[in-house]
Amino acid sequence: MKALRGVISAAALAGLTATALAAPPDFSGVWFLASHQGALKTSEGQAPPLNAAAQSVYDAHRAAAAKGDFSFDGATRCLPPGLPRLMLMKEPFEILQKPKTLYFVYQINRLPRRVYLNEALPTDVDPHYLGYSVGKWDGDALVVDSAGFDDSTLLDNSGLPHSEALHLTERYELSHNGKHLHLRFTIDDPKTYTHSWSAEADYVKRPGYEIPEDVCAATPEAKRPRS
Amino acid sequence: MAKAQSKAVKNYLKPSVMLSAVLLAATASGAPPPKTLHDSGDPTLALTPGLRGAEKAPPGTPPGNPDPHDLNGVWWLSGYQYLLGPEPGVAPPLKPEYMAILERRIRAKNRGTPEADASTQCLPHGMPRIMESPYPIEIVQTPERITLLHEVAHNLRRIWLNRDHPKHLTPTFLGDSVGHWEGDTLVVDTIGLNDRTFIDDEGSSHSTQEHVIEHIRKIDNGQNLELIMTVEDPVTLEHPYSYRRIYHWRPDVRPQEYVCEENNRNAPVNGVTVAK
Repeated sequence: MKALRGVISAAALAGLTATALAAPPDFSGVWFLASHQGALKTSEGQAPPLNAAAQSVYDAHRAAAAKGDFSFDGATRCLPPGLPRLMLMKEPFEILQKPKTLYFVYQINRLPRRVYLNEALPTDVDPHYLGYSVGKWDGDALVVDSAGFDDSTLLDNSGLPHSEALHLTERYELSHNGKHLHLRFTIDDPKTYTHSWSAEADYVKRPGYEIPEDVCAATPEAKRPRS
Repeated sequence: MAKAQSKAVKNYLKPSVMLSAVLLAATASGAPPPKTLHDSGDPTLALTPGLRGAEKAPPGTPPGNPDPHDLNGVWWLSGYQYLLGPEPGVAPPLKPEYMAILERRIRAKNRGTPEADASTQCLPHGMPRIMESPYPIEIVQTPERITLLHEVAHNLRRIWLNRDHPKHLTPTFLGDSVGHWEGDTLVVDTIGLNDRTFIDDEGSSHSTQEHVIEHIRKIDNGQNLELIMTVEDPVTLEHPYSYRRIYHWRPDVRPQEYVCEENNRNAPVNGVTVAK
């Protein structure tokens, strides 16, 4: 009996060690959004919980867009579209995976985003269009924490606003033998939304696809991404 | 890929010309370059002086990885030349009609009305010029690719290690790059370049037939990266030419978000146009 317990313990220990030392899953490759959604909806299918002031900003964006005025959208002037909007574009992105950093390289205007692994989010980050991102492995999931966002970007193509207080949490998980990628993200922005909320997106890997050189400044304005 | 073995490169790497390589290196770090094109003394042909460029990593920085086949990390050009000829201050071997265009552009610059080039419009810098930037370059190496993430205007180069050039290429700003290892040297061959960019910051012309070959290798036990750049262009150049550059290992540097489209950092400061 004692011997058996010993065997079980060794097996359990071996299992633990294997988990601890296991290489993280492979997220590398070119990813396309599985289905393009219009205005962002929460995981429960609701409209995001804009506060009253932010609701008027959003309504103004929609009214302007309806009249063909996209001046509220910096992406039409080739400014970086921000996050999570870049994750919601029909154009693909590529993940380059290294032990200390994951690189998201978006087709849109060749924009790079770096996710530094196993580091804390700096407490005082200067605002950037793509913020500042740190990540960690949670089992087989990649969890990315981002803050330090410039408040001129939009959350989605429909023109949802955010403030500099935006804190974005993303959780990425593979499925279908590594060919599908699921993203659940949480928006925490008390200056814009009455409570934090989450939404989802799914991606399909396209092996062998080469992302073309996409240069916004060389693209006519009508063909640029817009709300 | 056969084109990568061009005569110019072979000659450059031959031991018989190693002395000139040493002299070239000495010139790059020592004597000041000529102040006017062709050493003419003509003030309307004044060249913009080079920059000192990146410092080495500060004391206490982890040493470079000596593995010659691992180029991962942040590298930063030592020195910066506005004119990318075979030596600092010497023009590329342009054919007379293209030398005349370069002179026209230098004179326009010196009149304070420079001809707009691609980078001033937030377009990619082209080749070989993108490798001549006073901003860091992050190299990300994955099994089939070497990716260069340039801080300057988020230029991006993909060097494919698993394929040759496609038969039919639509010209792009940074072209199509394929690479292979020859011993400890990464050889990169680039074609498929459009002609909307200049070879260099002073305005040397290239055509869509430009062909660029880079020999990249670690030196100084991984503390520095050496690049020997070879430029061929049967349309604008009399003959191919090469030059040498050094990039410092800078693991202490994290490339920053550079949004040319918002705030072009290359606008003149106190009457001096800084590097683009």
